[in-house]
Amino acid sequence: MNLWKQCMCYCRRHSPWIFHMNSGSCNGCDIELVAALTPRYDAEQLGVLLQGSPRHADILCITGPVTHTSAPAIHTVYEQVCGPKAVVAIGSCPASTNVFIDSRVLVGPLNRHVPVDVFVPGCPPRPDAIIEGIALAASILARREANPVLGDASQTEVHP
Amino acid sequence: MNLAIAMARLLLFPGLLFAVPAAWFFLWVERKSVALMQQRIGPPFPQPMFDFVKLLGKSTPPRRGIDGFLMRMWPLISVSASATAAGLLPVLPARGGFEGDLIFLIALLEIPAICIIAAGFSSRSMFGEIGSAREAVLTVAYNVVFLLAILSIAASQHTFRLEALAQLPVTPLRYIGLLAILICLPAKLHINPFSLPNAEQEIYSGPMTEYAGAELAMWQLSHGMEWVASCGLVATLAIPQFSHWAVNVLAFGVLSLVLVLLLSVLAAATARLAIDTTVRFYWKCTLVFACLILIAFVSSSFMQEVRS
Amino acid sequence: MNIFAMLAKNLRLGIQTIRFPARPPVTAAFRGLVRFDPALCSGCAMCRFRCTARAITFTAGKSTFTWSYDPGQCTFCGRCVEGCKDHALSQDSACPPVYLTIGTLKKAYTLQRKPPAEKAAAPPDPSHVSPPGAS
Repeated sequence: MNLWKQCMCYCRRHSPWIFHMNSGSCNGCDIELVAALTPRYDAEQLGVLLQGSPRHADILCITGPVTHTSAPAIHTVYEQVCGPKAVVAIGSCPASTNVFIDSRVLVGPLNRHVPVDVFVPGCPPRPDAIIEGIALAASILARREANPVLGDASQTEVHP
Repeated sequence: MNLAIAMARLLLFPGLLFAVPAAWFFLWVERKSVALMQQRIGPPFPQPMFDFVKLLGKSTPPRRGIDGFLMRMWPLISVSASATAAGLLPVLPARGGFEGDLIFLIALLEIPAICIIAAGFSSRSMFGEIGSAREAVLTVAYNVVFLLAILSIAASQHTFRLEALAQLPVTPLRYIGLLAILICLPAKLHINPFSLPNAEQEIYSGPMTEYAGAELAMWQLSHGMEWVASCGLVATLAIPQFSHWAVNVLAFGVLSLVLVLLLSVLAAATARLAIDTTVRFYWKCTLVFACLILIAFVSSSFMQEVRS
Repeated sequence: MNIFAMLAKNLRLGIQTIRFPARPPVTAAFRGLVRFDPALCSGCAMCRFRCTARAITFTAGKSTFTWSYDPGQCTFCGRCVEGCKDHALSQDSACPPVYLTIGTLKKAYTLQRKPPAEKAAAPPDPSHVSPPGAS
């Protein structure tokens, strides 16, 4: 059993499939995320694949300060991702709403809606920083159970 | 003893024990060669195996009633069909065992496509339905050319038996049939330019939108084994038989690998075509191949009459 | 160029990827993390006024003040650097690091207010013309 668990952890760390979601972003971070998949930065060297369906993905990459119309969509898609899952907040908008701090249509930082594991700061973050964030999320994900109790993001071990 | 050899063919070589690592190897070759042609590193060698094991460890959403049962059944049927198709390949025809039939093999190769169509509709997702409708139109379009290919290969030696076909020398009529199968392969394997049912590349997302976890792992495995069975079919029917069995196996492996590389070059070089362009292309192919096969058949029987 | 010729050229030119975890070099004009030199700061709070994202906070006390900067809130526009008359702020080429909890990157400094500099003796005013002969 221990050998199988170790094998599963290793495979989960080396095969992080991502699903990208935009919660009202200016698209700067989305462009840098797509640039991370281009030949110069090549996220596929770590096994990262951009998936078309949230059910296929392990890591949910969310950009943008959360607008109040996109908040229900964030909840729905987070529920649709199958466990074990991790959330990466890309850019400084999901962490702190950045320059939009006084806006009336925002519903606050992302961790009010979903448990966020890794924050990648920057406006926009460089593609190599995004890949580093995804790699860190993959190693956090590797130790998770398939059906975790919600909100246990702080209880998992972290080995950066 | 016949049963033992048959089970060995279905389970060991070229059956399950060979087909699963070969499927992962071919999937890796396709991804890595496309990456090298795009000047990037691409995935490491064990990547398809990592994907498979990781998917086995993911949870699946709860599915109730007949829908859940159907949704779980389709990937299993697809994997068994493509694994059996890989097991029936006449790599070593002189050893006997299971007597395979060309029509049976082609039918087994069709079952994964039918499973994909059914899976998209049974998942009750609108993306699945659109993807399945596209896959259905694509299947109808290229299957006419496939049928012509079977007819020409069978007509070349007046037999449908795979072992006999693999051992008899190759005639021009069989080459035309193999060329027709090669033209259908990009559509069958869902690679560019005929990768219509996919929203994204390697794992489909049109009909597969609602699948997750172990079911998705089975779809990936069946996709890989379709590569093995399809490229293996063309390889075994194209090469002549050598005296030593090891040379046969080596030639089968090398030619399958060459086919995988050629298909990857095609996938890297082209973009996805729309459904009407694809269907029109295959109808034109039908016309061209029908004329070619008719001419070759008539001229070969005329030559036989003149000789005798 | 023919697509197959392009693919052959790509194969010949080889891999152009930057292997993880190496980072590519940045240009000279890259606006990265804001660096603060406490020795030069005079507590005018102009940077807090100019900051677009409220990444800089300033709390004034009797004889001390607290200045803090959160790279997780910053948008790296450079307005604070432009507005600092003491040149205590500068932007260098470092990118902010990846972190796990909000607020980890925030750094606060509590500084003593500097005593005002001694006013030098006023230079003679050239507009006054002393009458000749007066002393």
